[in-house]
Amino acid sequence: MNIEIKNISKSFGSIEANKNINLKLKSGIHALLGENGAGKSTLVKIISGQILPDEGNIFIDNNEVILGSPKNSIEKGIGLLNQDPLDFSNLSIFESFLIGINEKNPYRNINKIRSKIEKLFNNYRVTVDLNSKTNSLSIGERQQVELLRLLYNGAKLIILDEPTSAFSLEQKKRMFDTLRQLSKDGIIIIFVSHKLDEVFEICDSASILRSGKLVENIIQPFDSNKILSVMFEKNEINSISSKDFDRKENFIINFSKNDLNNQVQISKSHTIKQGSVIGIAGLQGSSNDKYIKNFFTKEFSSTAIELENNKKIYKTFFYYMPADRLEKGLFSDMNLLEHFGLSETSRTNIINWNDVKEKANSKIKEFDIKADITSQINELSGGNQQRVMLSLMPPDKSFLLLEQPTRGLDINSANKIWEMILQRKEKDYAIFFSSTDIDEIWEYSDVIISVSGDEIMNIEYKENLEKDFIAKYISGII
Amino acid sequence: MFDIENLKINLIRLFLTLIIIFFTLILFGISPFEVFESIIYGSLGSYSKIIRTIIVWTPISLASLALIYTFSAGMWNIGIEGQIIMGAVGSTLVARSIFGDDFISPYLQIFMAIIFGAFWGLISAILKVKANVHEIFSGLGLDFVASGIVIFLIIGPWKREGIASTGGTDIFDKASWVPTIGNSNFPLFLLLVIFLLYLVSALVIKYSSLGIRLKATGINIFATERFYFTSDKYIIFSYLIAGGIAGIAGFSQSSAAYHKLVPSISGGFGFLSILIVLICSRNIYFSFIVSFLFAALIVGGSQLQIRMGLDHSIIGIIQATFVLSWLVLQKLELEKLISQKITKVFVK
Repeated sequence: MNIEIKNISKSFGSIEANKNINLKLKSGIHALLGENGAGKSTLVKIISGQILPDEGNIFIDNNEVILGSPKNSIEKGIGLLNQDPLDFSNLSIFESFLIGINEKNPYRNINKIRSKIEKLFNNYRVTVDLNSKTNSLSIGERQQVELLRLLYNGAKLIILDEPTSAFSLEQKKRMFDTLRQLSKDGIIIIFVSHKLDEVFEICDSASILRSGKLVENIIQPFDSNKILSVMFEKNEINSISSKDFDRKENFIINFSKNDLNNQVQISKSHTIKQGSVIGIAGLQGSSNDKYIKNFFTKEFSSTAIELENNKKIYKTFFYYMPADRLEKGLFSDMNLLEHFGLSETSRTNIINWNDVKEKANSKIKEFDIKADITSQINELSGGNQQRVMLSLMPPDKSFLLLEQPTRGLDINSANKIWEMILQRKEKDYAIFFSSTDIDEIWEYSDVIISVSGDEIMNIEYKENLEKDFIAKYISGII
Repeated sequence: MFDIENLKINLIRLFLTLIIIFFTLILFGISPFEVFESIIYGSLGSYSKIIRTIIVWTPISLASLALIYTFSAGMWNIGIEGQIIMGAVGSTLVARSIFGDDFISPYLQIFMAIIFGAFWGLISAILKVKANVHEIFSGLGLDFVASGIVIFLIIGPWKREGIASTGGTDIFDKASWVPTIGNSNFPLFLLLVIFLLYLVSALVIKYSSLGIRLKATGINIFATERFYFTSDKYIIFSYLIAGGIAGIAGFSQSSAAYHKLVPSISGGFGFLSILIVLICSRNIYFSFIVSFLFAALIVGGSQLQIRMGLDHSIIGIIQATFVLSWLVLQKLELEKLISQKITKVFVK
C-alpha cells in the first residue's frame, strides 16, 4: 500500500490554502504539522474527497483517485476520523456498523457480520459491548470504535484530524495503542495535530506545512527547536504605538490550584498593574478562551480577579466579548440601534430612543462601522460585527475580556481592531485577550499567560520572557 | 413609532388575502358578496350585535396580546388555552364566594384571574427553565389539566343544586357580571381594559428595558449574559405577564360571555390567537385590528345560517383560508413588489 500526492493546489478567493504539495507515504504513522491556517485541514479534506483541489492528483497503489468524491475515496481505502465523533449517537454500536457497511446484498447474514466485528474488536482489545448505545460511550471509546469501523469498511489509509482534543490521558493511551497496532498491521496513518508532545510520542515521520506550502519532511528522532522554528513563521506586523503610561493601582489574579500545571512552579496569586494587556496564549482547542470567559461567568474554574484593598467587583465591571460573534455575542435579527438600546438596559429601565440614536450614530462613526442604525447584524461583514461588539463596550472603567478579538479578520481589519482596543489601556482596569497566534500575543501583551490543554503553563511579564518559549509552553513542552 | 411602510405592506396583503377568500368562496358555489355582507351585518348590524362582537373581541385580543409577550421571548405558549381557563376558574371562585353579590366582585375577579392565569403560565416557564421541558409539551399538557379541573368543578363541588350536568355552574349573581354603563348592557368596561392593556403594552415593548430584553431573549439566549441579564428570568417574566393577561381573557369569558363557568369556557380563542399572532408577526397594532376582524367573523358567521342557509363551518373555512394565504403571501413577498410598483406609479 502506498499513497502519492502530486502537485496539490487549492485557493479560496485570494488565499492559497495549498500550494503544490507533494507527498509520498508507504507505511507508518505520519504527522501533518503546522500552525492555524497553514493548510492542514484543506489537505486532509482534499485527500478524503470533501474538497476538490484546483490542481493535482492523488494515487493509491498507483491507481488514480477521483478527486472531490468522498465515495470514491472510501472505495479506494481512505478513511477519515473527525475531530468530533461523527457517528449515530442513538444507535447501538452494532447498528452503526451495519449502516456503514459497503455492500449491496440485502440478504446479508447478520450473525456472520456480528462475529466478524467481534473478532475485530478482540484483535484490537477494544472491550465494549456491541449492543450498547453509542452515546453511552466516552468520546475516547467512540473514536476507537469509529477507527475500527473505518478498518472494517476496508480503510487502508486512516487520517486522524486532531483526534485527542477531548481525550483524557487514559483514553489517549488506549487510542495510541490501537494506532500502533494498526500501523504494525500495515495501515498508513496520517496524524494531524497541534500537540508536539503527542507527535513526538507516536509518529515515525512528519511533514511541516506553512502558509499552504509543504516546507519540510522529517523523520524520527525529531528536533523540537527546529520544528518550532519551521512551523511558526516570523512575520512582521506594523506595530501600533500605544502611549506609555504609569498607573499606580494594581489588581490581583488568584488562580485555582487545579488550573496550574503541577510540574511547573507557578505561584497562585499574581499582582498586575492596572491598564495592562494580558494575552492568554494557547493552541486551537486549548482552554485559553475558557479562561477569558471564566473571569465573567466563573463556571469553568474558581480562578478569579480581585481588586486591591478588597474592593468589590460587580459583574458590570466586566465586558465580555466572545469569539463566536453571531452565536454568543450579538442578536442576528436585531438592528444596530436595538443593540445600543439593549446595552443601556443595565443602567436604566426606560429607554430614551432619541439619546440612544444619537449615541449609536456617534459610535458608528467612531468605530468606523460600515452600516447605519437600521442595519441588521446578520447583514454585516465579520469585521464590522467585531467593531459593533467593540462599540458596545461600556463607557466606564472595565475589565475587557476579549476572546480571539481578531479571529477570522484580515491583517488590516485586525490592526484597526487593535488600535481601538489599545485606546482603552489608559482608562480600563485591564484588557484580557486570548489568541492562538503567538505573534499577536507577543505584539500586544504586557503580561502573557500560556495555556496548554486545560492547564496554565506559565504567567510572566513580557520583558522576562522570550518569544520562543511561548511556542514551547503552549505545545506542552516544559 | 408607527412604521408606514410596514402598514402599507400589511394592508396590501390584507387586500390580496380577501381576494383569495373571494375566489375560494366562488369555488364552493357561494356568492362572496352575500357572505361578506352577511358577516358585516351579523357583527355590526345592530346595537346588540356590536355588543356581542365586543364580548368576543375581548378574549381574542387579550389572548393575542398575551402571546405577543411570550412570542417575543421566543416561547411557543401553547398553554394559553389553559391560562384562559384558569383565569375563568379564578374569577368563578370570587363570584361564588361571599363577595359574589358585592359591587367589588368584578375587580376582585380580575385580580384573582390574573393570579390564576399567571400561575398556570409560571408552571410552563419553570419547567422550561429548570427542567428544559419544551414549552409546547408542557403547555399542551397543562391545557388538558385545566379542562379537566373545570369539568371536575362543574360536576363536583360547583354543581348546580340537584343536578350534576356538564351544562355549567349556576349563573353568577348580577353583581359579579362585568360592569356596564347605567341600565344599558354596553360593556364599556371591557373596551377600557382592552385599550388600556394595549396602550401600556405598546409602551412597555417599545420603551422599557423589559421589552428589548424580551426580544433579545427570543433571538439568542446565549448572548444575553454578556448584556448582564439572564434569559431564564425573562422567559419567566414573559410567562407571568402572558398568563396574567390570558387570565383576564378568562374573566371576560366567565363574567361577560357566559355569566357562569362552562366546560369549554375558553371557546378555543387561545388557539385562534396563536394564528392571529403568527399572522401579525408580533406587531401589536396589527393584532389589535386582526383580532377584531376575527371576532366579527365569528359573530357575523351565525347570520350565514339564518340568511343564506349555510352551515356555520364556512366560517372555519374562511378563517383557515385567511391564515394560510396570509402566511403564503408573507413568504412570497408579493406585496413588496406591488408596493414598489404603486410607489413608482405615484412618483411618475
